[in-house]
Amino acid sequence: MTNETGESRVRLAIDALSHRYGDELAVDDVSFGIEAGELVALVGPSGCGKTTVVQSIAGHVRPTAGRIALHGEDVTGVPPEDRGVSIVFQRSTLYPHMTVGENVAYGLDARGVAPARREALVSKHLELVALDDQREARPTELSGGQRRRAELARALAPSPDVLLLDEPLSALDRTLRIRLREEIARIQRETGVTTLFVTHDQEDAMALADRLVVMNEGRIVGRGRPRDLYESPPTPFVASFLGRANTFSATVLKSNPLTVRRGDETVEIRGVKADVSDDSTVTCHVHPEDLSVRPAESRATNPSIRGTVAHVADVGRRYDVTVRIGSGEDLVAEQVSSPPAVDDDVAVAFPGDRLHLFDRDEGRRVPLSAV
Amino acid sequence: MNRTDTVGSGRSFRVPGRLVPAVLGGFLLVYFAFPFLSFLSRTGTANVAARLSTPEAQAAIRNSLLTAPVSTAVATVFGVPLAYLLARASFVGKRLVEGIVVLPLVLPPVVGGAMLLTAVGRFTPVGRVAAAAGVPLTGSLLGVVLAQTFVAAPFVVITARAGFGSVDERLEQASRSLGYGPLATFWNVSLPLARGAILAGITLTFARAIGEFGATMMVAYNPRTIPTRIWIDFISGGIDTVVPLALALLAITLAVITAVQRFGRIPTVVDG
Repeated sequence: MTNETGESRVRLAIDALSHRYGDELAVDDVSFGIEAGELVALVGPSGCGKTTVVQSIAGHVRPTAGRIALHGEDVTGVPPEDRGVSIVFQRSTLYPHMTVGENVAYGLDARGVAPARREALVSKHLELVALDDQREARPTELSGGQRRRAELARALAPSPDVLLLDEPLSALDRTLRIRLREEIARIQRETGVTTLFVTHDQEDAMALADRLVVMNEGRIVGRGRPRDLYESPPTPFVASFLGRANTFSATVLKSNPLTVRRGDETVEIRGVKADVSDDSTVTCHVHPEDLSVRPAESRATNPSIRGTVAHVADVGRRYDVTVRIGSGEDLVAEQVSSPPAVDDDVAVAFPGDRLHLFDRDEGRRVPLSAV
Repeated sequence: MNRTDTVGSGRSFRVPGRLVPAVLGGFLLVYFAFPFLSFLSRTGTANVAARLSTPEAQAAIRNSLLTAPVSTAVATVFGVPLAYLLARASFVGKRLVEGIVVLPLVLPPVVGGAMLLTAVGRFTPVGRVAAAAGVPLTGSLLGVVLAQTFVAAPFVVITARAGFGSVDERLEQASRSLGYGPLATFWNVSLPLARGAILAGITLTFARAIGEFGATMMVAYNPRTIPTRIWIDFISGGIDTVVPLALALLAITLAVITAVQRFGRIPTVVDG
């Protein structure tokens, strides 16, 4: 992470951050870094501690332990106003007693920017978010999407070192969310601002981020490029969170070729061997788009699991077929056409190389390779 | 089973939704308005202008107009910051502080006055020092201010606290992150956004202060304010002698409330 001149490119570094609220450990030993100009998404379900991380970076929460460094300088004890970190929250924090233009100018006034330059910067940032005709409007006169954009302009106007976006899209409806997501991507590209995007929505995260940091129960459980994490998730949680919860448990009978047993059914995954000892219990995950449903008696080359169709949901451009494969174990298969009927006995098949295997006891990903 | 069977009965008789609260509230309104109107109906029998121009009445009006604004200002300057702390900070003993704030509200004012006497009365250490320095804390306009502030200040604290509480803390955090310290943030964001509630609190405090009688009577029976003068007039001359000063008090209070609301642009029902 060092360029040719030997200068670190890491803009923001979080080092062993922990935070307690009373007895509850909300953030547990979290460390990650963001390079200058990067857009990193911090994702995880509600209550996983990501907002506490953001609040610590902004300086609104003093972490129980750990360090936060900006440009390599420790800012853990520095008050928010001296950090150069802008923040956009889930709910609008535009000041209702100021016009849109005054809101955008607010952060510039704090830095004593000269009036002429301030006006120019306000105009520039209102243009950036396509709100130049709303300069004199009150925030209450703006639509939900316009308010978001005005907040982005206000946060960006003082040229922050780091921009924190804390669930900025979560309060919006789907159409608006996707449009604003693209807008954020464009603005980030144009300004090159180092951004931490916090969300519980894996789709927003995957669509926007250069890198993902996945959190669960206060800890980081995965990190990497979105596609890499999706295609080789390190834990069942990451697999389920980035895709969909789609797992079944099994016992390994043989590791080469991989053969597992669930109940009275033996499934051989031909052409694949696993680095796992016999008799270990494993959690298997397959993304729904990799599963296909076919009649139970059909013979096929791909490995398959028998089950009964429990539910078919027509979600428009595809069908989500829920197949019950055991007590409390369901698999969802995405099917484009001709779904089976409920209560049909079916086989759920998947290509052997699309299986993700996790050792239940060790909690690790089991490497699979072609034979 | 037919699902409608279980809920079928009780549909024949319907009371319009707002009838019950309207009737109950109406009783209270009549109870407020009736004495008010019967009191006003006496204005014809009393010579308002003549009684208001007596030196005693003039002095009382002057004293009230001098003390109540000062008490309100003192309560606001010290009370609004306290309200902000109570709305934002959590600390050990917060419950105790909250209890102390409402203490003057739950005490009968005359008892509050008695307590003040034991603290700053002429024969207490504090009162003796102050009197020796030429600023007696009892039987003086300063004494009136002390009594009014004690009784009226909780109103601005409680109302302003609710106002600060309804300001989303993230608006303040955004201001900090945009480069403003805690004091500038309070001034630029918290104060303007809680303005409606604070002004409502100031109005209540003023109304309470200018009408204060119980504690004032204990701490500073002299010099007379409008309420103490009204009491003396009533004792010596009966109900009709009271009407002119009571009307003056009402007029002053209404004028101040109207001015504050106009100046502060507070919506009449709920603050926006």
